[in-house]
Amino acid sequence: MVGKINFYLLEYTLKYILRYKYKNLFIAIVMSLLVALLASTLFISNAMKDEYNAILDNYPDIIITNQKAMRDSTIDESVIDTVLAIKGVSRVVARVWGEYYFANADKKFTLVGIAQFQEYSNPTLNDISHISDTSMLISSGVYEVLKSSYYVDYFNFIKADGTLKKLNLDRNFITSNTLENSSLIVMSEENVKDIFDYKESEATDLSVSVANENEVAFIAAKINTILPNTKVTVKDDLRVKYENIYNLRSGFFLTIFIISFFTFFIIIYDKVSGLNSEQKREIGILKAIGWRVGDVLNSKLYEGLIISLFSYVLGVLLAFIYVYVLDAPLLKKIFLNNYDLMNDFVIHFSVDYETLALLFFLSVPIYIAATIIPSWRVATLEADEVMR
Amino acid sequence: MIKLINISKNYDKNVMALKDVSIEFKEGELIVLKGVSGSGKSSILSLIAGLSKPTSGEVVVDDKKISKLADHFVSVYRRENIGFVFQKYNLINTLSVSENILLPLVPLNLSKDEREKRLSSVLKLFNIESKRDTVVKNLSGGEQQRTAIARANINEPKIILADEPTANLDEKLSLEFIEMLRELKSKNRTIIVATHDPLFFNLDFVDRVVEVSSGEILS
Repeated sequence: MVGKINFYLLEYTLKYILRYKYKNLFIAIVMSLLVALLASTLFISNAMKDEYNAILDNYPDIIITNQKAMRDSTIDESVIDTVLAIKGVSRVVARVWGEYYFANADKKFTLVGIAQFQEYSNPTLNDISHISDTSMLISSGVYEVLKSSYYVDYFNFIKADGTLKKLNLDRNFITSNTLENSSLIVMSEENVKDIFDYKESEATDLSVSVANENEVAFIAAKINTILPNTKVTVKDDLRVKYENIYNLRSGFFLTIFIISFFTFFIIIYDKVSGLNSEQKREIGILKAIGWRVGDVLNSKLYEGLIISLFSYVLGVLLAFIYVYVLDAPLLKKIFLNNYDLMNDFVIHFSVDYETLALLFFLSVPIYIAATIIPSWRVATLEADEVMR
Repeated sequence: MIKLINISKNYDKNVMALKDVSIEFKEGELIVLKGVSGSGKSSILSLIAGLSKPTSGEVVVDDKKISKLADHFVSVYRRENIGFVFQKYNLINTLSVSENILLPLVPLNLSKDEREKRLSSVLKLFNIESKRDTVVKNLSGGEQQRTAIARANINEPKIILADEPTANLDEKLSLEFIEMLRELKSKNRTIIVATHDPLFFNLDFVDRVVEVSSGEILS
């Protein structure tokens, strides 16, 4: 293969690119930025998809929430026996959790209460065997937020009645910085109930496991009939909800895609619409001194390949740095609805070859074609006509 | 060696550059095509070089019908047989002298040594060694002319075609060019010069002066 490469033709092409360096540099920069923008969007959206899927994978089959004036309300744990009595239900767990707004830092924490010998859908919680009544476990994201407000050993929660509840920070941080765990604080159920003013027998919701996944919808309907004042959410409903949110943002980015490609196609149109008289004359000269049409087109192929491959690689590299090193400022904010309230969720590395291939085929071959076509038009004319 | 048989060439409906022209050029001859601007002499060179095709008639070189060849083969024919010196030199101004001269060799992918050997030979022959790395746009008219001739000879073609080669040169440089032609003629090259410069009409090494007028051969 190497034997077939004409390095003198490659050398001529490189010199040609350098002779039009400002124009080619401009094209390469615009193309790189477009590729970087699209790649960043795809990288983030893939990471988000993976996160949501991971959350859903660990999600219980059914969640039961009490409803009061069409709003979520606490549910009495006595309902557990009623639900367990339904055929097909294998397990019911009362979950005690809630969201706590830390005004000082304008951040939102998710407080989750755990009870001993209980099994949870979030695997991180299952790893915690014991927690004392005077302390809490926090994620590294929460730690950073608290530290910025000088809470390094303890934190004072403001309870529903306005009094304070002091809990020590456990040094065993939750290290998994997924979207689900980024704002997580784990403490005993009693402490969560105390902070949110829950009664002894109250829970936030009930998680229900069903032995046969084909029966989930049927059992959910049955729960709804038996407990008409509750809201029953099945995993699939939640998947649809997440997908809708995701698609809404994807729609936003579709607009960016369209604008980006509109810009790209303006460049392409400019190239396809023709060569300037100097470039035409050069092709005429090359033909007049014995270059075949194929030689001219090979040179143009090298030219298109060098510029577009360079732009593609640079664009993807920029996207990697932007997303995985700089943590995608701005774009992340757009993708995560209430990002301002969330702690430092880290975008996990998630690149699939389909994404890279998609970006490649949307940029490199199109640009190469746009470089070759106008030159082919000129090269197939009579050299005499082109030079005149 | 070169035969133009009943050649007509129309550039569009109303412009008839050549009218039923028939002429023959022998190997090793130096022929001057004489005529005013627009007489059709450049069209003859263009047809011999395969840069354009006749509207009717045939161009035959070494028994090959050049005018019937596909574009790909015409390019190969041109590369192997023709050295063309254009009136406006047709050099690439932003490349150096040696880069311009080596351009015809690029598709051949020759070895570095072979390229250097050929380059040194033409640089020396046309006395332009000192300018080998100078960018063409910084050269004088005479130096550009010599670069163009060197490029035309890098493939050691059998046929040299020169279209108004002295049109942009002063008398001294024109005489220099004529000496270069003498040198090429001594190497048994077939040379056809299209010009209206009287300097060419009485040269001792010119075999024939052919007058072209209004697309026809007069003598």
